[in-house]
Amino acid sequence: MSNNKAFAADASRKERIKEWVSRPGGFGIITGSLMFAAITLVGFIYPLVGPYAADEFVGESLEGPSLSHPMGLDQLGRDVMTRVFSAVPADIGIAFLGVTIPLTIGTVVGILLGISKNKYVVSTVSSLIDGINAFPLLIIAIAMVTFLGPGLFNVVIILTLMSWARYARIARTKAVVVLQQNYIEAAKLMGYSKRRVISKHVAPNVSSESLAYALSDFILVIIIVSGLSFLGFAARPPMPEWGSMIADGRTFLGQAWWLTVFPGLAICWSAISLSFIVEGLSRRDRGNS
Amino acid sequence: MNLLEAFDVSVTFKAFGYEVQAVKNVDFVLPQGKVVGIVGESGSGKSTFARVLSGLQEPTGGYVTYLGAPIQDGKEIYKGELRKAVQMVFQDPYSSLNPRMRIINAVAEAVRVHQNPNKAEAQQIALDLLKRMGISEIDAFKYPSSLSGGQRQRASVARALSVQPKILIADEPTSAIDQSAQSQLLELFSELIMDGLSIVLVSHDLGVIRYLTDNVYVMQNGEFVETGSSSKIFENPSNAYTQKLIASIPSSGKK
Amino acid sequence: MSNALVQIDSLCIDVKVTRTRRLTIVNSATFDVQPGQLLGLIGESGSGKTMLCRSLVGTLHRRGAYINSGSLTFNGIDLVNASPKEWRDIRGKEIGYIPQSALAGPNPVMTIGAQMAEAIQLGEKMDKGVVRKRAIELLEIVQIRRPEIVLKQYPYELSGGMKQRVMIACAIAREPKLIVADEPTTGLDVTVQAEIMQLLKQIRKNLNTSIILVSHDLPLINEVCDDIVIMHAGSTVEKIPSAKIQDTRHPYTEALYRSRIDLVEPRGKLVTINGQPPTVGDWPTGCRFAGRCDYAKPGCSADVEIPSIKIGPNHLTSCIRQAEIWGK
Repeated sequence: MSNNKAFAADASRKERIKEWVSRPGGFGIITGSLMFAAITLVGFIYPLVGPYAADEFVGESLEGPSLSHPMGLDQLGRDVMTRVFSAVPADIGIAFLGVTIPLTIGTVVGILLGISKNKYVVSTVSSLIDGINAFPLLIIAIAMVTFLGPGLFNVVIILTLMSWARYARIARTKAVVVLQQNYIEAAKLMGYSKRRVISKHVAPNVSSESLAYALSDFILVIIIVSGLSFLGFAARPPMPEWGSMIADGRTFLGQAWWLTVFPGLAICWSAISLSFIVEGLSRRDRGNS
Repeated sequence: MNLLEAFDVSVTFKAFGYEVQAVKNVDFVLPQGKVVGIVGESGSGKSTFARVLSGLQEPTGGYVTYLGAPIQDGKEIYKGELRKAVQMVFQDPYSSLNPRMRIINAVAEAVRVHQNPNKAEAQQIALDLLKRMGISEIDAFKYPSSLSGGQRQRASVARALSVQPKILIADEPTSAIDQSAQSQLLELFSELIMDGLSIVLVSHDLGVIRYLTDNVYVMQNGEFVETGSSSKIFENPSNAYTQKLIASIPSSGKK
Repeated sequence: MSNALVQIDSLCIDVKVTRTRRLTIVNSATFDVQPGQLLGLIGESGSGKTMLCRSLVGTLHRRGAYINSGSLTFNGIDLVNASPKEWRDIRGKEIGYIPQSALAGPNPVMTIGAQMAEAIQLGEKMDKGVVRKRAIELLEIVQIRRPEIVLKQYPYELSGGMKQRVMIACAIAREPKLIVADEPTTGLDVTVQAEIMQLLKQIRKNLNTSIILVSHDLPLINEVCDDIVIMHAGSTVEKIPSAKIQDTRHPYTEALYRSRIDLVEPRGKLVTINGQPPTVGDWPTGCRFAGRCDYAKPGCSADVEIPSIKIGPNHLTSCIRQAEIWGK
């Protein structure tokens, strides 16, 4: 049980916040969240208010960083900074979809599987889930791209098809545990409808675990999206996207380092900020046990 | 008048080709306004039987009646309004409450579903109920992880009482909590009994059984080996196993 | 008191919670254990009794805890500053440990025989025949029937009571001078509990081992032990011979005694102790029981040092007001 002052009736809001922060992990969660919020907000706002457009030719090609172009210009004379920030909807946005859609589908399937009494359904679907989980994500993604063709939305489809099984596995395991708890039996004793028990008692407890995993997965997916684009399988020119920007800048690495470094930093920044949040949350869990 | 009656109840579990009979052809009676104890050691089948009485476990043989009518109708046990009449409190205070729900909401939910859908009024009813159980308003808005084991048990009792049951089945309610919390919980039960609640108390703690119950059933290996009034069982047990149990209780002055 | 086997004085144990935060689990524990004494240690959760046991077995560091101040002597050896090597010579050989039945117990992947061999040898190489003979001898002492068969069994094949007897056999394997039994019968059936208590009393008699029996069950401790040490909120508040428990000189002990359910008439008025035990580390100044005490006066919560008052040859209390409440 933690600091009592925060639970006293007269604890001010400020005191409660201070207590929340001082618990283990608080620093990491806040830093990470701020960092992530920063890049996401800038990514969505800057292209609207910035002086240039992402595909506008504004100057000499391969001009180095300067006051008017803090991240330099690329080989076609486009402003790198604008392109880096314009890539946010692609990288972070697509990654977001590539996590939330499998998360939702997988968690629903997992819960239904945990509830199901039909042995055949459970074992068939479980085998399917295990089968899908057996394949390495990036490699299958590349293979599927040759089927579906390149493109960011195809990437979302591929990720959904491959990832839902991971979430389903997590959700099902947790659902089985939750269903054995006394509070679920108590809910049945209270005469609650099956729908209420599932939505208000089972789902919240199962999804807390799925959500925790989703946050870590987010980092992975950002890197996968960039990776696929780097290989040429996802974003197509002239769409700004960090991975493809790095790929394009490869040939100019010696002369124009800013073409690869800044998109690379953007990837790092996103991944690191999320890692801070994940680490902070796990420290908090450990600290509280 | 008998509230609950069990006739020739058996429960057999099947797993991996093995069959285990946890409860063997057992008869049981809960008279109105009385507290009946089921005492036995671990593995005796008392928890399984308690779950049959509360409707969580379907018996493989025999049947249970409430006010004379069988509780099981086809596949459903305690259908409809009947479900509220018999409630249960479990042994483990840590899994008895939804960790993601504030205590007040856990109790108010039952009120909203069965009594009064108005959120504010239901919350007030829940608050009053929790206060009666000795849980302050501040504590009522906390999550279960912020409360002690004893408080959680009392919150579970509040939740059970929110549907105004006639019978409370308590499965080892004091086994997992501190000494002082035990006394508080037992005092609470005494008050509820005076208000007219009938209780089935399952426990391996003979002290608790002696303190709270009117009648006692002694269970061993799925069968009731002795039954009678609580005073008779404790002062003059006739069955050898019962005698062994009574003799094992530590008592002051005996070295 | 000078030939005490164990001497604990103002022992203070802290725990490292985070890199910067420290929590005091045991604030001031003082008592001694004589050779061959069966001492009961009673307290609710948060009283610090488990940490105290760990300090006697040298496993504090496993929980990130350490002794901050005070002294802890066993047979003349200073245990506060003992090196890991010194602990290896003491743990198991001089001080035995019986864990809580529900929590620990025999290693599920080893046969009973293998575990007993470990406990008997404690790292030293011994002849296999000698070890086996000793194992059977020990199992017979703890009244396990057909020990030759049990040696080959795995823990899952044994009942809770039998597993606990095996743990006791392991604890006495090297005939230690002191055994620390941390709630050995919690979770076991009452008949099994009675048998294990009998066993412990026999071991004490035959081997002249001192036993510290930790429990939250006052009637049990009262019946089995010679003397009782009561802990509350991290300190020892009273040490009293169990025969004299009714002449207690501390309100907490009195409250514990009076709230015993076996002394009350059925459905009679139960004496309850007000409030909750204080949260670990978040202790008030002065006497930590004052907030729940029926006899408390404002002076009890003042920032004073809690004394250790000697009432009789074997009776110590730390109630500041004891003389006023119970007379000289």
